Formats: sequence, C-alpha cells, structure tokens
Amino acid sequence: MVEQFEALLTPVLTQAYATARHLTRGDGDAAENLVQEAALRAFRAFHTFQGGTNFRAWFLRIVTNLYLEQYRRAKRAPVTVSVDETSDLHLFRSAKGAGLFEDPQADPARQVIGRLSQEQVTRALESLADEFRSVCSLYFVQEMSYLEISEVVGVPVGTVRSRLHRGRKMLQRQLWDAALEAGLVDRRQPA
Amino acid sequence: MTPDRYTCEMFFRRLPDYLDRELTAEETEKMKEHLETCAVCLEEYTFEVALLEEVRTKLQPAVLPPGLSAKISAALRAADHE
Repeated sequence: MVEQFEALLTPVLTQAYATARHLTRGDGDAAENLVQEAALRAFRAFHTFQGGTNFRAWFLRIVTNLYLEQYRRAKRAPVTVSVDETSDLHLFRSAKGAGLFEDPQADPARQVIGRLSQEQVTRALESLADEFRSVCSLYFVQEMSYLEISEVVGVPVGTVRSRLHRGRKMLQRQLWDAALEAGLVDRRQPA
Repeated sequence: MTPDRYTCEMFFRRLPDYLDRELTAEETEKMKEHLETCAVCLEEYTFEVALLEEVRTKLQPAVLPPGLSAKISAALRAADHE
C-alpha cells in the first residue's frame, strides 16, 4: 500500500512543494510541514482516490485545503492591491508609456521581466491574497488548465477564470512596480 | 450566434482565454484571423505571450529540500503500522 502510494506521490512531490512555498509565502519550514502533513492525510484517504484519475490534482487539492485550514490564519495579512485601479494589460500599457516599444527590435516583456530576479517575481506572486495566489500558482507553475485548477481549488471553472483574470492584473501591477523599484524602467505614466 | 469577424474589442475580451487555449475551435479561428489583419492587437498578443513565458520561467518549481522525501517516506511507514 505504501509503495503504491509513493509511486504516485514521488513524481509530484517537487511540484507540490513549489505550490506549498507559494501558499506559505516562501516560508520553507511551513511549506515542508504542509507537504508532509498533506502526504499523511492523502495516504490515510488513499482508499478514496480513484485509480487512473489525476493524482496530482487530487494531492494538490489536499495541500491547498490543509493550508486553508491550518496555516492561513497564522500568516500575515497580504499586500492588498486594488484591481479596480489596475488596467487590463497593465504591463503592456506601462511598457508602452515608458517607451519600451520605440525600438522595433526590442522585446519589452523580456526587457522588463527577464531582468527581474526569480526572487522578485516570486515575491510579486506571493504578495497576492490567498484566493488569487493559489490559482495563479497552479496556473503559472503547474501549467494547469482552468478545469484542473477548479478541481484542485474546489470552485467552478467560471470562478477560476475570474480569479485568474484578476490575479494576473494584480501580478502585472506588482511586477511593474518591482521593475520601477529596481530601476529597470523609467517612471513614466502608462499610455 | 457569433459574428463573422472579431473587432479589436471582441479580441481584447477573449485574449486571456485565447492565451490559455480555453476558447472553442471556432473562437480560436476568429482570434487567429483577427491577428492576421490587426497589427495593434498582434503587438499586444505578442507581448502577453512573451510575458507569460518569462513569468513561468522565473517561477520554476522550487528544489525539494534535502531529506524531505525520506522524512515523508518514514512518516508514511509509521502511519501504515498504526
């Protein structure tokens, strides 16, 4: 039984740890504990797992639920970013406004994000509130479809779409602010 | 009933779902047709594709801490004997 469970768990463990890191906002110890506790909970519930279905989604759902039950309350309040104040395609418009499209050979997305460190991009993701951070992590890191994310988070596909849309806007704003702070772009008004 | 061709506004509204390959085959075809004729939307789309790739590259899965796998394995075996 343990061997059968581990054969499914081992290939998804690194991905589960990545999601746990994002959920716990980069707290390595908390992420380790979260994954370990989730593995135990999943093992105890393994008889309910339907063979041949998506084990990764099933396990990540347990990781996410456990985080919501046990860890969320203890964590600091998220940075709140007002979505209403953030335009669609915020980065595109800001990059335009900063003149990054003036050179036809330029690659503005790489010019901005490519020069941010992994830590800066991770911090931008981790600044989002729980409901947006979990969906964005599953989308950007696990490259899951809306349907898979809905299975993990336990909300309808339409809610995933809406959270992802808003989460992206907030993430774009955070990334642009990080680029400004790092002096990678000029502080000009978005176009 | 969907229109024969998408306007820029229609394209813009569907852009996130297009990037995520969540549109129907018919909608996807219309998005492609629009991109072939609209340089402004093509510029936006190209930027968003590059942005998505860059963010995904920067957010690569964290490395598993050494010993975590063994710790989990031991905990599972202990639980199995409970």
